[in-house]
Amino acid sequence: MSRFNRSGVAGAAILAVAALVAVIAPLVISADELDVTRVTAAPWQSPGAEFWLGTDHTGRSVALLVAQGAGTSLFVGLTAAVLAVGIGTLVGIVSGHFGGLVAGALLRVTDFFLVLPALVLAIALSTVLPRGLGTIVLAIGLTSWPSTARMVRAQTLTIEARPFVERARALGGGHVHVIGRHVLPSVVPLVLVNATLAVATAIVAESTLAFLGLGDPTRISWGAMLHQAQLHGAVPQRAWWFLLPPGVAIVVVVLAFTLVGRALEAVVTPKR
Amino acid sequence: MILKVAIVQQIDSMNPFLAVFQSSTEVGRLMYDYLTAYAADDQRVTEGLANRWEPSADKLTWTFTVPEGKTWSDGQPITAHDVAFTYNLMLTNEVARTANGSFVTNFSSVTAPDDRTVVIKTKAPQVTMLALDIPIVPEHVWEKVTNIKDYANDQMPVVGSGPFVLTEHVAGQFIKLKANKNYWRGAPKYDELHFVYFQNSDAAVQALTKGEVDLVNRMAPAQFDSLKDKAGVTRNKAQGRRFVELLINPGARTRTGEPIGDGNPALGDVRVRRAIAQAIDLDALVQRVNLGYAEKGAGLVPPVFGKWHWEPGEKELRTFDPAAANAALDAAGYPRKADGTRFSLRLTGRAGRAYDEQASEYLKRQLGDIGIPLDVRLVSDNQLNEATTVATYDLAFSGWATNVDPDFILGLHTCAQRPGADGKGGTTDAYFCDQAYDELYARQLSEFDEGKRVELVKQMQARFYDQVPAVVLAYENALEAYRSDHFARFTTQPAQGGVIMAQNGMWGYYGAEPAARASASGTTWVGFAVAGGVIVFIVVAIMRQTRRRRATAGERE
Amino acid sequence: MRLASRLGGAALSLVMVAVLGFFLFRVVPGDPVVSMTRGRPTTAAMQAELRAQFGLDRPLHEQFWGYFTSLLRGDLGTSFTFRRPVSDVILERLGPTLLLVGTSTVIAVGLGLWLGVLAAWRRDSAFDRTTTGVSLTLWAVPTFWLGMLLMMVTGDLFPSRGMRDTDTAPDFLSQALDVGHHLVLPSLTLVAVVCAEYLLVMRSSLLEEMHAPYLTTARAKGLRDDLVRRRHAVPNAVLPAITLVFLRFGLVVAGAITTETVFSWPGLGLLFYDALTGPDYFLLQGLLVVTAGAVVVMNLLAELLYGVLDPRVKVV
Repeated sequence: MSRFNRSGVAGAAILAVAALVAVIAPLVISADELDVTRVTAAPWQSPGAEFWLGTDHTGRSVALLVAQGAGTSLFVGLTAAVLAVGIGTLVGIVSGHFGGLVAGALLRVTDFFLVLPALVLAIALSTVLPRGLGTIVLAIGLTSWPSTARMVRAQTLTIEARPFVERARALGGGHVHVIGRHVLPSVVPLVLVNATLAVATAIVAESTLAFLGLGDPTRISWGAMLHQAQLHGAVPQRAWWFLLPPGVAIVVVVLAFTLVGRALEAVVTPKR
Repeated sequence: MILKVAIVQQIDSMNPFLAVFQSSTEVGRLMYDYLTAYAADDQRVTEGLANRWEPSADKLTWTFTVPEGKTWSDGQPITAHDVAFTYNLMLTNEVARTANGSFVTNFSSVTAPDDRTVVIKTKAPQVTMLALDIPIVPEHVWEKVTNIKDYANDQMPVVGSGPFVLTEHVAGQFIKLKANKNYWRGAPKYDELHFVYFQNSDAAVQALTKGEVDLVNRMAPAQFDSLKDKAGVTRNKAQGRRFVELLINPGARTRTGEPIGDGNPALGDVRVRRAIAQAIDLDALVQRVNLGYAEKGAGLVPPVFGKWHWEPGEKELRTFDPAAANAALDAAGYPRKADGTRFSLRLTGRAGRAYDEQASEYLKRQLGDIGIPLDVRLVSDNQLNEATTVATYDLAFSGWATNVDPDFILGLHTCAQRPGADGKGGTTDAYFCDQAYDELYARQLSEFDEGKRVELVKQMQARFYDQVPAVVLAYENALEAYRSDHFARFTTQPAQGGVIMAQNGMWGYYGAEPAARASASGTTWVGFAVAGGVIVFIVVAIMRQTRRRRATAGERE
Repeated sequence: MRLASRLGGAALSLVMVAVLGFFLFRVVPGDPVVSMTRGRPTTAAMQAELRAQFGLDRPLHEQFWGYFTSLLRGDLGTSFTFRRPVSDVILERLGPTLLLVGTSTVIAVGLGLWLGVLAAWRRDSAFDRTTTGVSLTLWAVPTFWLGMLLMMVTGDLFPSRGMRDTDTAPDFLSQALDVGHHLVLPSLTLVAVVCAEYLLVMRSSLLEEMHAPYLTTARAKGLRDDLVRRRHAVPNAVLPAITLVFLRFGLVVAGAITTETVFSWPGLGLLFYDALTGPDYFLLQGLLVVTAGAVVVMNLLAELLYGVLDPRVKVV
């Protein structure tokens, strides 16, 4: 129990740092330092005094790129998670609360999306839609909502079976009242946990899509950096300083979200 | 001795009538000779299956002689009937025209009056009769093929006339060919040629450094640089057949004159197009994006085809001059607005193509300097193709590989290549339609005096340069590398600064000479040993841990 | 009755996959014929001929009907890229994928479940903390990145791509060793990523089981800890974990796509990636139907298995 809390706090601290970097980086780093047309440093420099993490294939500082990429990766992760959890919650509550034909259909759709390999669908979506951050967010969000929906539905059913909800209904509480006053409050903690874990998945998914060349090529993200590293031959050149930092950044942030999510989970669902 | 070559593109078919991918054509050249060939040293037309040819006085009848003594890989003699059979199959069967139909559209008949003579009659004089890039197939094999469309041509070994015989093909993995001992030019100097499929050139370069393959091409400049001091690897920087260009939508129209697409109307003004061209610093692009592995662009024919290549004279040359471009735009009636911009344009390029990703940054800045902000859109390959085939672009990256005969690349920019009324069937992506250019094109097509034809071809390129439906940005070098510890020498085409792969011929593979003492790789099993050791170590460690825990658990009771 | 509804649901999912497969990829902009013929002398007539060969000149609803009826006969159409029936192409690539996924899954399940048991049994011990920490970290690692790292770190020890060398002796032993040599890095990558998931699942499943009253009874009877674990807790906890393994099959599919892309492993994942660049509609359709179909079937199996093995489970 306490261990989870400790690692949860550590995760939260890491996230705070990452968020700080994401906010500050664009303010501190001048556009010239990341503009391939203006940089003057030699490409493929290994780490040294001037460039802590060396330079990439165009002579830009890898350290600055990682800092700059934090914003994009976090933004995509958060928005995609919000989208996914939002859809999931809506579908879950509606199918749990209303029942009947609507619920049946929604449940069917949820099950369908649950079994579809999410990555395959996300790849397909990002090829169909025009390139851009919005597409990535949409592709990830639209493919990762079903598990939330399943869970929220189950919770909704449990809550609505409780006596006090039945009482509220008997007293003439409408759908809005029941959902707003009873179902939502009991679902929110679960949804929060889910959202935290969903951010972790979304960040990994973003990096995978970007790596496959389906990301927004005009923006710097960690996945896009790895895509560049592969495209320009970082592995045969043994340019570990170009390959390691963005990957480590992904792992650390994703791990932090997971830890926080698990800590929250432990709080929300007390042990039997 | 085996030569292993990395390829990145898939093979669509081994059936030479159907195969349209460049990689398939390349393998096809090794299996089947054409009627004529292009010499390795200077790319002049030389003996293929035919060794003599003669046009009639009116240039409508061509007589080719197929000499005695050439045989198919199964020992059957190659005759004029095989040639006539191949061409007639294409004339009579629409499916057989899938890949190379454009070469026979002007044919009226092909006959073989005897074993040695092929007579081709054309509807109109055709200057490209010695550049018929059509693989000739053996009649005794293909006469039994009833359905060309479904024929995979995989009866191994595949009977052919080229220096190699196809013996095995596993799609997406590899292609194996054996040296054709009966080849009429003489057998190749090694036994087998393998093409190994790679996901991307990065993986291919890595395999080269490990000695898993012997030959790699189409490297990115950075990859090429990374091999600089690699022992056992020799790099070949060659003049390429490719150029990259920036399309400027000149107000696209269909063949019937209907407007198509949504290009910015300002680009219909040739003064604007010239100003844009003038604002692009071609030298900077070559230096920073191509890392110097390219030559500055000008005409449509790359310098590797020396005699057809055109360089702007002093008067025609547009030097990089943003101030002049600014002035020209002011004069043309596109003044800067309050925010300093004139109008904005979309720039469409391909995501994942290193050139587009980098060059777009430079163009964004350079055109920004003349008050034209760019909205860069990097899209997938097919989305880019879609944008250019329906003209939904303002500026777009494109590029073409050119052939020995300039007819293809020049013809691509004639009015007739624009799509039909339904928006389909076009092959141009530049939508250039210029009467003066088209007249020159028609004249060069029937000009049999080569000196005069060269002059016409250059005039066409000058016209294209002047009207700027596209800016030729650079002639990219072909960057290749090979294991010189395995293979000492390759035949390049042309002899000076030429390519090994993607030739207009098969000389690079055919002429490869094994190194005197090829070293065998010994590292193969070390990996296994290490992996095995690690696994054993982990298992033992975990088992010991378990035992100990179990023991203590027992004691705890 | 429950079985019938399950089967019906799975069948409906399959039909939806088929419909989705057709329309999803038709929305991809671009004319495949133009992409195919780019860069070579092509006339409009030649393009039209190619379109006709692939049936692309027919109206969409006709194409759909043709696709759907032939799908019922098991015919998935013809691939543009390979000019062969899609089913042949997929069958050809199925072997390598089964080899990679099969090897990795067996190792990952074995290792993951075993370590999961150990970790749960010694909850909060140093061992538990380490394995859980490592698993959580591995779970956070993007598959492709791990692959690239392994490639860089191992240098020349392992081949960088593909499934076999072209110049290996044709006898069975050499070929098998060669394939094994190529298999090491990709399967290691896949195992590392998938194993973490199984370990965590097994761990939490066993932890739940250990709170069950019957275990207390067993202990009270004086059974040794070790025996309690082996005879009672583990067998009961393994079942839900294994069904979860089936349920997470989609995860393996995703892992296979990225791993195969990084290592050029000639399986279905790589085929999918290649088909996207065409775009090869028929191949994409076929792949979606086959992979999603496999996942649907796997899930069905998992649920049936779950119901049979654990009568306490009520189907929601």
